[in-house]
Amino acid sequence: MQAPATPKSQTAPIRPKARVTRRSVLIADRVADWTIRIGGLAIILAVFGIMIFLLQVAIPLFLGASVTGHFQRDIANGAGNPRFVAVDEYNTVGILIGDDGRVSAFHLPTGAALTVNNLDFGGGVATAASRTLDWRDMAFGFADGHVRFARLDPTAGVIAGDSLPPGLTRLANGDSTDGKVVYAAAPGGQYRRIGVGVATDAAQPIAEGAAIVAIDYRVGGTIERPSRAFVTVDSKGVVRLSSAETRMNLLTGAARTTITTATLPPLPVGTQVARVLLTANADQAYVADAGGTVYRYDTRNLNAPVLAETVDLLPRDARLSAFGFLIGEQSLMVAGTDGTVAGYFRLQRESASTGDGYRLIRAHDLEPHAAAVTGFGASQRGKMFVTGTADGLWIRHGTSEQTLLKLSHAESAGGRHVLLSPRDDGVFAFGGDGKVDFWRVSIPHPETTLKTIFGQVWYEGYSEPGYTWQSSAGTDSFEAKLSLIPLIFGTIKGTVYALLFAVPVALLAAIYTSEFLNRRARSVVKPAMEMMASLPSVVLGFIAALILAPIVETWIAAVILAVVVVPLSLLVAAHLWQILPIDWALRLDGVPKLLMIFATVALGVYLATLLGPAFEYVFFAGDFRAWVNGSTGRATPFLFILLFPVSFLAAQLAAERLDLPWLRAIADRTRKDGVVAMLRWLVLLTGSAAIAYGIAEILAALGADLRGGVVGTYVQRNTLIVAFAMGFAVIPIIYTIAEDALNSVPEHLRAASLACGGTPWQTATRVILPTAMSGVFAGIMVGMGRAVGETMIVVMAAGNTPILDWNVFNGLRALSANIAVELPESVKDGTLYRTLFLAALTLFVMTFVINTAAEMIRQRFRKRAFQL
Amino acid sequence: MATVARSIQPDESGTVYHVRAGAEGTVIDVDGFNLFYGKKQALFDITFSVPRGLVCALIGPSGCGKSTLLRCLNRMNDLIDDVTINGDMRIEGHDLYGPGVDVIALRKRMGMVFQKPNPFPMSIFENVVYPLRIDGVRDRNVLEETCERALKGAALWDEAKDRLKESALGLSGGQQQRLCIARAIAADPEVLLMDEPCSALDPIATSKIEELIDELKGRYTIIIVTHNMQQAARVSDNTAFMYLGRLIEFGETEILFTAPKVTKTLDYVTGRFG
Repeated sequence: MQAPATPKSQTAPIRPKARVTRRSVLIADRVADWTIRIGGLAIILAVFGIMIFLLQVAIPLFLGASVTGHFQRDIANGAGNPRFVAVDEYNTVGILIGDDGRVSAFHLPTGAALTVNNLDFGGGVATAASRTLDWRDMAFGFADGHVRFARLDPTAGVIAGDSLPPGLTRLANGDSTDGKVVYAAAPGGQYRRIGVGVATDAAQPIAEGAAIVAIDYRVGGTIERPSRAFVTVDSKGVVRLSSAETRMNLLTGAARTTITTATLPPLPVGTQVARVLLTANADQAYVADAGGTVYRYDTRNLNAPVLAETVDLLPRDARLSAFGFLIGEQSLMVAGTDGTVAGYFRLQRESASTGDGYRLIRAHDLEPHAAAVTGFGASQRGKMFVTGTADGLWIRHGTSEQTLLKLSHAESAGGRHVLLSPRDDGVFAFGGDGKVDFWRVSIPHPETTLKTIFGQVWYEGYSEPGYTWQSSAGTDSFEAKLSLIPLIFGTIKGTVYALLFAVPVALLAAIYTSEFLNRRARSVVKPAMEMMASLPSVVLGFIAALILAPIVETWIAAVILAVVVVPLSLLVAAHLWQILPIDWALRLDGVPKLLMIFATVALGVYLATLLGPAFEYVFFAGDFRAWVNGSTGRATPFLFILLFPVSFLAAQLAAERLDLPWLRAIADRTRKDGVVAMLRWLVLLTGSAAIAYGIAEILAALGADLRGGVVGTYVQRNTLIVAFAMGFAVIPIIYTIAEDALNSVPEHLRAASLACGGTPWQTATRVILPTAMSGVFAGIMVGMGRAVGETMIVVMAAGNTPILDWNVFNGLRALSANIAVELPESVKDGTLYRTLFLAALTLFVMTFVINTAAEMIRQRFRKRAFQL
Repeated sequence: MATVARSIQPDESGTVYHVRAGAEGTVIDVDGFNLFYGKKQALFDITFSVPRGLVCALIGPSGCGKSTLLRCLNRMNDLIDDVTINGDMRIEGHDLYGPGVDVIALRKRMGMVFQKPNPFPMSIFENVVYPLRIDGVRDRNVLEETCERALKGAALWDEAKDRLKESALGLSGGQQQRLCIARAIAADPEVLLMDEPCSALDPIATSKIEELIDELKGRYTIIIVTHNMQQAARVSDNTAFMYLGRLIEFGETEILFTAPKVTKTLDYVTGRFG
């Protein structure tokens, strides 16, 4: 080919390039896609996982009880219908005690009889008997008016496997016995030796020539010097309260018992006494007749006992079938032949027409039985008890009023003797026909229901039902009060007060930095504010509790005054700034102006401390703490302080509408706009103060008094301190997010408003803030979420008092703080432990609901701002 | 009405003037105006007067200072830190930068329309009456009357009268820009400043705005910054050509586009640079 190469052939031939994306790019894209997807799903799963975990721990609180085993034995019982039935701690040996003093014991799981000593009644047959709650001490009354004390000791000890005595008989369930004592295998190759010991004291004469028909017996004091008290009713209807003191001669070992007896005021003639009860310190005696009428004696002064109260506890046609205390002797359980089961408290009542100012109040109504109640047995560890009827027995809880378990024992003829075994893990029913029913039960959380946790419960010693949190106390008979309501309330209260303080400060600060501060000052202020957020909350709480709280306590009047004086001094400073010549103002703009604002705030604080005592003297009768208690002063001052800002704002708004041409004319003529505006402002201020005072006076005259409401008794660690400290933690968060939102409003909107002749303030409030509302709101919500979950500040500064009280000068206990404080002392899987998990779940749900609601509101703001 | 008042008269700053004067004198008088961003000078010794009731266009290549000059007229440059100015700038004889000037009141006399339509995220009605709202006008009748007048003035009434309560952001770009014009004229200003009002709009919307400018002429003095020389030629009576912060030539539009007195202007309007 001759021709010079054409341009086409000079370059490489254009061939369609393979437009294929490289494999590595595709793979990277895929990997990123899946990583992000899996990551997101994992986060959602983790959140749900936490929720499910919390639920799984908390749910058993509401599951009732379960039966883990049941057996029935026929006991060849010579004693006929026994007086007492008992079982040892390990549910191994059952014991029956007859009225003639015969004791028969048997191996519970197999029914094998054991040989036990009898009680020495000297041939007598008891006509009345009583025993203490732990079944160990018994008192018997006899037809001749004598009383004998006896002790029952189910002895239990652990012995090593190799020291097992020889010649034991093996029982069907693997236990061994020598005929008297049962050896049951215990963990670790050891054996538990369980026997029954009894002891009887000498007879003591109480009632001369009259049979004792009812007796109740309580033991107190120490083991060396037990003090025993018992109340008896004889066949003549004489009620006696006796106390027995036994002194042991340390040399001879002989015990000498002295008994002092007081006769109580007589019962009405013909009273058929069914049961008597005595409290452990012998200050109250209750005599119940067969019809359910109770005679309550106040025996605090043994020299002058009084019949304090006579009250009918049962419906007219019902007869009393059970009458006894729950542990702690505060709850008096009454059951009748009509199936009624009710709990009574002895409570002080203003209106009580009784001898001692107390009355028996029906506090708990439990699910009634369909048939007559025949048996009653109280737990030795809690407020549980069991009631038996002819066709079943129910395990109930006195506080929560719930029926935990319903057991039927069709083959057993009746439920005359029902009892909960000492560890609350078994129920024992003896029907009187020689048949014994025993159920092994598991009742992990008898005291919790949805109602006890979220509803009002009437606790022992409380004058009315209420929401109470008190998870532990010093005594065994303590009733756990596990209402989450005071804690939820505490969380809400702390959050509300913290936000009341934080939101205005944070939002105004955000608007100021975003709209008014020049760029240079802003670049200093914003990081400084953000640094506040990095302060650990434990440090904040520590400072609040140990430094701020005492200072505020000392300077409380000044602190309240500062709330008014600091904004006022800023307003005054702003007016003075207006008066400043324009070139001065321009020269001082920026950082010097900012410093002057700080100086003004400082000056305001100084003024407040200076004027504090005078303020306290004028407004709060010289003593703020006495004033909030309601003991001195009038309601007007605080109402005035609250109304003043409101009336001032209202006056300001009204004045804005009001166009005063003459004022404008003066301003134009004198060319002193600033001075005129300031004078106008001062007039407004004094005017609105006068109006606020007038309204406060009228409201006070109408009976409005905030004491007892949002203000009240002052305690050092209070919600005000929490609000300050938590505000300090929350302000930077709200500030940063709100400032970013305001700042991200497009500049052209700002320009448009300013070009229309809007002032920066008008621009901020009418254009910037509404446009940025979703972001600002998000900031507030994030701050709120922080406040709701905040733990250390509330733990340290809030006083941790779980009370339902809006009083800003009182403490609070938040859910989070409660978890932090109590989890270390709770037993794993115990009721408190699970309740704390429920508290965690509640907190979780609260923040979840708040965040969801916030997001929905935020979306609406967003829509309104961008679509309308 | 067209009379050449000051023709071919290169002054000391080198600006060439051949301005068509209005019937009623001048509104804005600028004399020896300099502006610095920090240490950098952006405007050099600007001197010109804007005749009342006419349309004056500012043209020039990017960065020549025409928007800066426009923003000086209603002191929007105050919003930028570190701006210093000297020289004299007056509206109706009042010094714009003198001590004690009420900037807020000043801006009310100078309506401004921006390059990008910037309606507020509010209803159409609220957008238009915004200048009255911030003045504290609450009388519903006054607001409605003003709204109608302004929307009619901005040739938007027919399109918007049934949707006054709807968001302004639902309008098309051209409608939004006319809404901004309506907002600017609702306050009844003396001067309308337009900063490239059509640069973000399509040709149809642009022609509508241009028609509108034609209608508004006479009632308001309009100063319009534009990149589009055809537009300047179409809508304005006088045109100022700026280059590197200096006012090169200021005069009657026809002359400036057909027979400019300065070579630089000729080069620019014929597209040799810029």
